[in-house]
Amino acid sequence: MPRQKRILITGATSGIGLALVVRHAPDAAVLATGRRSAEEARRVLPDGVAYVQADQRHPERAVAAILSALDDLGWDRLDLAVLNAGTGHAVDPAGETPQMLRDVLDANLFCAVTLAQALRPRLEAGQGRLVLIGSTARKGAAGFASYAAAKAGLHGFARALAEEWRGRIAVQVVHPGPTDTGMHARAGHDPGRLVRLFARTGTMARLIDAAIARGRTVETISFARFLGRGEGGR
Amino acid sequence: MKTALVTGGGAGLGRAIVERLLAEGWRVVSVDRAEGTTVPGLEHLACDLADRHAVDALAERLGGMGPFGLAVFNAGVSATGRFEAIPIEAYRRLMTVNAETPMLLSAGLVRTGQMAGPMCFVSSLSHFTGYPGAAVYAASKDALAVYAKSVRKPFARRGVSVTLACPGPLRTDHARRHAPAGADADRRMPPEVAARIILDATLAGRRLVVPGRANRSVALAGRLLPGTMMRQMRRLIFDRLQGEVW
Repeated sequence: MPRQKRILITGATSGIGLALVVRHAPDAAVLATGRRSAEEARRVLPDGVAYVQADQRHPERAVAAILSALDDLGWDRLDLAVLNAGTGHAVDPAGETPQMLRDVLDANLFCAVTLAQALRPRLEAGQGRLVLIGSTARKGAAGFASYAAAKAGLHGFARALAEEWRGRIAVQVVHPGPTDTGMHARAGHDPGRLVRLFARTGTMARLIDAAIARGRTVETISFARFLGRGEGGR
Repeated sequence: MKTALVTGGGAGLGRAIVERLLAEGWRVVSVDRAEGTTVPGLEHLACDLADRHAVDALAERLGGMGPFGLAVFNAGVSATGRFEAIPIEAYRRLMTVNAETPMLLSAGLVRTGQMAGPMCFVSSLSHFTGYPGAAVYAASKDALAVYAKSVRKPFARRGVSVTLACPGPLRTDHARRHAPAGADADRRMPPEVAARIILDATLAGRRLVVPGRANRSVALAGRLLPGTMMRQMRRLIFDRLQGEVW
């Protein structure tokens, strides 16, 4: 019997991360992470999924918590790590306070860099795959300047690292287009009627899994890719 | 007399920019980690731009020194070698100096009405080519480049033009420390030349400046064939790096 896959998914208590957990939980051993307390996470996560609270706005602490959870599970190898956690603010860039900027860069970018380094031995042992979830905002967004910047950083980081680790650990960055995750509302942005065109999280998770299976270093899942696909495009 | 702010003004490209501005009659506030000598027209502020507390204090201090007719966010550090062989603390410093601090300082200056002229963010040619052997440096410079693109319109509404500068390798100590074995320093652009081109573009309010025709060709190749360029960068740089430098 083939051994069960071990998968780490960050930012897994809502949005695309949760949808990915739901897809993988039936067949794989999944460790989910998120900002919420374990009790809150239990209410949304499928049964059998391990969880560790890790607030990525504090990368050093978050990574220590994740490593400790991996130790507790006895996972010395990983097949797949999906670094999906992200946060942003819809704000005039001049209005972005130092705290907002630091939180966005830490949670979206520096925590992923720290995790990539910390997970490397386990990924190498499992001949695993590191997938960074970017955003189509990575080319620039006036209303989400620091978020766009952080996602651009992930893009450049993943491309360089994929080349460095070629033959050892596969590295990919996948850029989802607008998705109905609730993130816009949390960020203080009202997309209005456009939200009806956003991909559903389940659809986006399916397209991300397909992108992972294709294995290209950079994948963009734009509007055009999910419009008209299953579930009325959503 | 108009006042210009230059970060990383103590060496390399930053110093070349400071010297050119002084020659053109600007009053210059130069921020650098190293102590510097204050000469007529030049005020030196010593600040470790990787230290969040020091940066917060600097932001407050700059608030009382403006308005600035020009700001050049030039300070940057690198870390070259195998990604996993460099301590995370070095990456933390790098990300703060290269990306977080310039974003935070620029937003603060615009928010408080201290900017009365153009602004330039100095990213890197690596924004177009990628940079295996410096994955976190590449990340920080990509982040800064896209921040510059993102704020261009919102800052323009407040009368501040934003220029993104992506210089290639320069003939500086910084480049020498991080260059691969066998790299030819003579082919790097003198910092004085890059400083002139970058300042002209910034004062003219241009969106993007990549100094040097050869570098512009490299940038174009990176845009058209990103995968090919990344593999080429691996051969040219990553495969030739001898150990880690940060």
